Amino acid sequence: MADATVTAGLALLAIVGVVALAFAVSHRLAFRIALRNVRRGRGRTVLLILGLLVGTTIISGSLIVGSTVQALDVHYTYLGSGYVHESVSATAPSGGFAPFAYSVYTDVAAAATGQSLIAGVTPMVITTTQVYDRSTGIPETNLNLIASNPNQSANLGTFHSLSGDALPGPTTGQVYVDEQTALALNATVGDALVVYGPHPVELTLTAIVQDDLRGAFITAGLSPGNVFLDLPTAQSLENLSGQINYIAVTNVGGQSGGIAHSSTVSAFLNATLASVPAAAGLSVQEPMKNNIAAAEQSGMSVQTIFLVLGLFSIVAGAMLIVGIFIMLAEERKGEMGMLRAVGMRRRELVFVYYFEGFVYAVGSALAGTLLGVAVGYLLTYTFSLLFASGALTSTAILQSFTVTTDDLVISYVAGFVLTLVTVAVASSRVSRLNIVQAIRDLPSPPPPRRWYTILGILGVVLVLVGLALLVPNAQGTSDISIPMLGGGLTILGLGLVASRFVRNRLAFSAVGAGLLLWAGVEPLHRLVLGSAHSGGIFIVFVEGILMVTGALLLYVFNSDLLIRGLLRLAGQGGPGAPRARIGLSYPARRPGRTAINLTIFALVTFTMVAIACFGATLQANLNNTIATESGGYTFFGFSTQPIPQLPQVVANNSTLAAQFSVTVPVVSGAVEVDVPGSAPNPYLDALYSAPTNQSASASFYATSQFGFSSTWQGMSSAAVYDELATNASVAIVDQTYAPVTSSVSSGPTAPHPTLTVGQSIYLRPPGSSTNLSVRVIGVMSQSAITGVWVNPQAASTLGYRSQDAFLLTVRPGASATLAAQDAKRAFFPEGLVLFNIVQILQTSIASTEGVIGLLEIFVGLGLGVGIAAMGILALRAVVERRREIGMLRSMGFTQRDVLTTFVLEYSFTTLLGLAIGTVLGIWIVYDLSISPSAAASGVSFFALPVANIALILVAAYALAMLAIAVPSIRASRIPPADAVRATE
Amino acid sequence: MAEPVVVGENVWKTYGAGDTEVNALRGISVVIARGEMVAVMGPSGSGKTTFLNCFSGLDSVSQGRVLIGGVDIHAMPDAKRSEFRAQRTGFVFQAYNLLPVLSAVENVEMPLLISGVRAREARERASEMLRQLGLGDRLDHRPSELSGGQQQRVSLARALVTKPAIVWADEPTGNLDEEGSHQVIALLQQLNQSFGQTMVVVTHDAEVAAGCHRTLRMRDGQFLS
Repeated sequence: MADATVTAGLALLAIVGVVALAFAVSHRLAFRIALRNVRRGRGRTVLLILGLLVGTTIISGSLIVGSTVQALDVHYTYLGSGYVHESVSATAPSGGFAPFAYSVYTDVAAAATGQSLIAGVTPMVITTTQVYDRSTGIPETNLNLIASNPNQSANLGTFHSLSGDALPGPTTGQVYVDEQTALALNATVGDALVVYGPHPVELTLTAIVQDDLRGAFITAGLSPGNVFLDLPTAQSLENLSGQINYIAVTNVGGQSGGIAHSSTVSAFLNATLASVPAAAGLSVQEPMKNNIAAAEQSGMSVQTIFLVLGLFSIVAGAMLIVGIFIMLAEERKGEMGMLRAVGMRRRELVFVYYFEGFVYAVGSALAGTLLGVAVGYLLTYTFSLLFASGALTSTAILQSFTVTTDDLVISYVAGFVLTLVTVAVASSRVSRLNIVQAIRDLPSPPPPRRWYTILGILGVVLVLVGLALLVPNAQGTSDISIPMLGGGLTILGLGLVASRFVRNRLAFSAVGAGLLLWAGVEPLHRLVLGSAHSGGIFIVFVEGILMVTGALLLYVFNSDLLIRGLLRLAGQGGPGAPRARIGLSYPARRPGRTAINLTIFALVTFTMVAIACFGATLQANLNNTIATESGGYTFFGFSTQPIPQLPQVVANNSTLAAQFSVTVPVVSGAVEVDVPGSAPNPYLDALYSAPTNQSASASFYATSQFGFSSTWQGMSSAAVYDELATNASVAIVDQTYAPVTSSVSSGPTAPHPTLTVGQSIYLRPPGSSTNLSVRVIGVMSQSAITGVWVNPQAASTLGYRSQDAFLLTVRPGASATLAAQDAKRAFFPEGLVLFNIVQILQTSIASTEGVIGLLEIFVGLGLGVGIAAMGILALRAVVERRREIGMLRSMGFTQRDVLTTFVLEYSFTTLLGLAIGTVLGIWIVYDLSISPSAAASGVSFFALPVANIALILVAAYALAMLAIAVPSIRASRIPPADAVRATE
Repeated sequence: MAEPVVVGENVWKTYGAGDTEVNALRGISVVIARGEMVAVMGPSGSGKTTFLNCFSGLDSVSQGRVLIGGVDIHAMPDAKRSEFRAQRTGFVFQAYNLLPVLSAVENVEMPLLISGVRAREARERASEMLRQLGLGDRLDHRPSELSGGQQQRVSLARALVTKPAIVWADEPTGNLDEEGSHQVIALLQQLNQSFGQTMVVVTHDAEVAAGCHRTLRMRDGQFLS
């Protein structure tokens, strides 16, 4: 696919080159003039290229970041996949792999000998375990136990010691651990390790192995760590005599080459399993193929996010190109008029600009592509600083920095074509001039009526296209950005038609207000478009562009009113009045040029502020979610063996009692949930039940702070818990059972049944005929602990009585880390594993902060467009207004007055652009935060990052002022005697 | 002779250095009296505009002194000299030099605003001045919407609206046709008589010079008589 894109890109480039060459031959004079224009101001050419390259840089940077993330994901996916292309296994109700007869392996291996695509088949046991290092006295829970026989697992690769020696694999009495586990246990070779299971065994640590393709299997070297045993020892440990729970299949062709055979081999394995009676319930998975596809998808998703957010900067860059060409045209108005006067046709004039733009496009696309590589590296480096932890080292991240030929070619072609198309449009526009007006430097007259007729026709076309997008997709499940764009085009088209009949101010102000309302008022979209649409990040671009366009139309067609008002305030006499008058008059009388600058600043600020608000809202809601999701508990835990008296044991252990204030035991199990009328049905989920005969500090019903998003007949939370404690025919469920109300989803998710409170559902243990009907009386707000909660009597009916799950709260002031260590030590034989709910959520918040920060840096590059625009416009203004400056100086303006006038003028444009961008950025995120999709994602309120926004605004304003500093100072220092007689 | 307003003493203006050194003014000394209307004539490159620039304070001098109202304007710092120009002088240029983004009345009121006059009063005085010059129906027109003669009259109004002690005009009829030139000359004379303002008019036009009280002729940076 990428190759086809590259080929198409190169072909396009070749065509454009050939066409340009043909034009150059047939329009030699225009070509010569264009080259002379390029050469006549090298400094200006460099400046123009800098201004033009931003769009390409954004494209290039986005692609490279995507490739890097993809490379990183693929690297860890390969690492975690090892040489397992396909697997044969069944999922146990508890979530691990279910055991099956070893004979299945024998049958599969026998069949595989005739299959040329299979390199090897390995019988394995894979489960979780806990290990105690007798030598260091350190226990570690929740480790992967991976067992295979050395003589059967050669195809899975070779173990390597830390010094690089190849190792055969553990045999009886031996255990290998990977680097992660060794680190956790502080273990060294020779230590005695007790590996826990139904029949714990003490083994000698014979090797610490590298987290390479063999040692990092499943976890990719990330936590949790691996413990490797030989198969008989694992079977004995796990009480799996004559059984295994996993068959690994390795294809021919090497690690990546073998993926191509996955479909064929899977089909073969399925056919084989179908003929093996003992294989009933087993399924064939293609982990490597699926995981690699997911990794590539993840890279593309990142690429899409960066590209879509970068689109705002790309549009801003295109506006800058238009602005630059309009200025060039104004600068050369006289000579263009002369060329036309002496007989040059308008078409030739277009070619003069086209050829000049072509040269700039060639240079800027190259420079932009290369700068994008630097930007990509900068982002990767920042990523490595923010996210490196454990085996995901900063070195590994930096080593994943990837620049593909595809990225470079696509960036160059896209940037070049984008610049050239914009240049061509701008060239056509600027070469349309009246010869006399150009020579005498007279202003252009208002457009003739015919122009509005053309606009009206264009408007009709836009309305038709808009309606074609809007009407068929208005009420449906299509991507919401399609009808949203359709509505926007319809409004714009109607405005263009109206401009033929009513005053521009009225027509386009109405369009501006209409676009703002259409794109910015969430209840309006919900009303018109319903709430069943799907969508993604592209809607942010569509809404953003429509809103910014709306705001700018309102400004452009009403700027005189705004500035008149400001002048009334500032122009009432006094020393500041003349400076304000001059400073504000230029933006007022040149709204087109001002609008270009405003657009650039508004777009860039909009993106930055929106991302900042989005991040802050997400973080604030995540903070809020900690309370909702944790239910007031610090840890959720489970044990491999039941711990019937955990609250009492904790109470009697002074160390633990000093650390835990709440110790709630919970009965857990697996259950098939039958929600009538909803799919999938049945749905395998977890069942929880808390005993009722507990003290206050051990009672779920007394301590739970889990809230409810809906309750039956409006019951209070306390009433729901009371009912659950006493009524065996009721249940509560987690938030994932709530009906989906999202209009914007983040992507496909696994199907899940949905229900409403008051509905009856049926529960049964997997494979059992026992069926229990319960009425759902509450849907919890949390989705951290997913499953169905029932009364203890109901759980007992379903056969679940063992207390092997726990909710624990650490006393105020106590260390959660130390408390967890002590608890795990105390309940080590039972294999207690604790998850710090708060910490998990906080880690998620930190990751969100990091991602938001990266995106802010990336879109902040767009500020470069604004700064370039400001600098170029200010430089041009100094040349253009030399005589006016001289006149002002002759009337008594001081150098400082001239400087102040420039600062005022550009401050007005910058601050207005920043204000528009800020208001709209805040608006769009507020709008999204009150949408049903936000509520479904747990976002219930909007947060305004005042400090962050202030920083963005101050930085943007300071940089803009820095950009105009040199031209403004130069303007103020023009000797008045020279200036009053000056010609450009 | 009436009270002297402009006094130049041995004024030199040199551009460049070494081989490229050019003496645009060569030790000029001149006295212009209050209410006097003086024409400065001479061939191109004789130093007329340099004289105007140096004596009006737009440009510095290389040597000598220029006293206006007894004050050495080149001894002032730039900001002070700007303030002096705002309060005491008016300028009319061949190219009008109107600010294109301002209307006629806004151009005329600008020097008043610079001098610190309140906006309402400035607007009234500027409108009145334009009405006096026959542009009462062109107050809100921008320069691009006015003819050359009208623009020059706006330029005159701007130069005179602050009632400056001295008006410096550099080729005020240079861009105008015969009829426009007559109008401007008549206006200058009328304003000189009405307000008693001192006027120094740099010109190539003998007819303009003929309308002045006195003509100073320049050649090679010096006055001939």
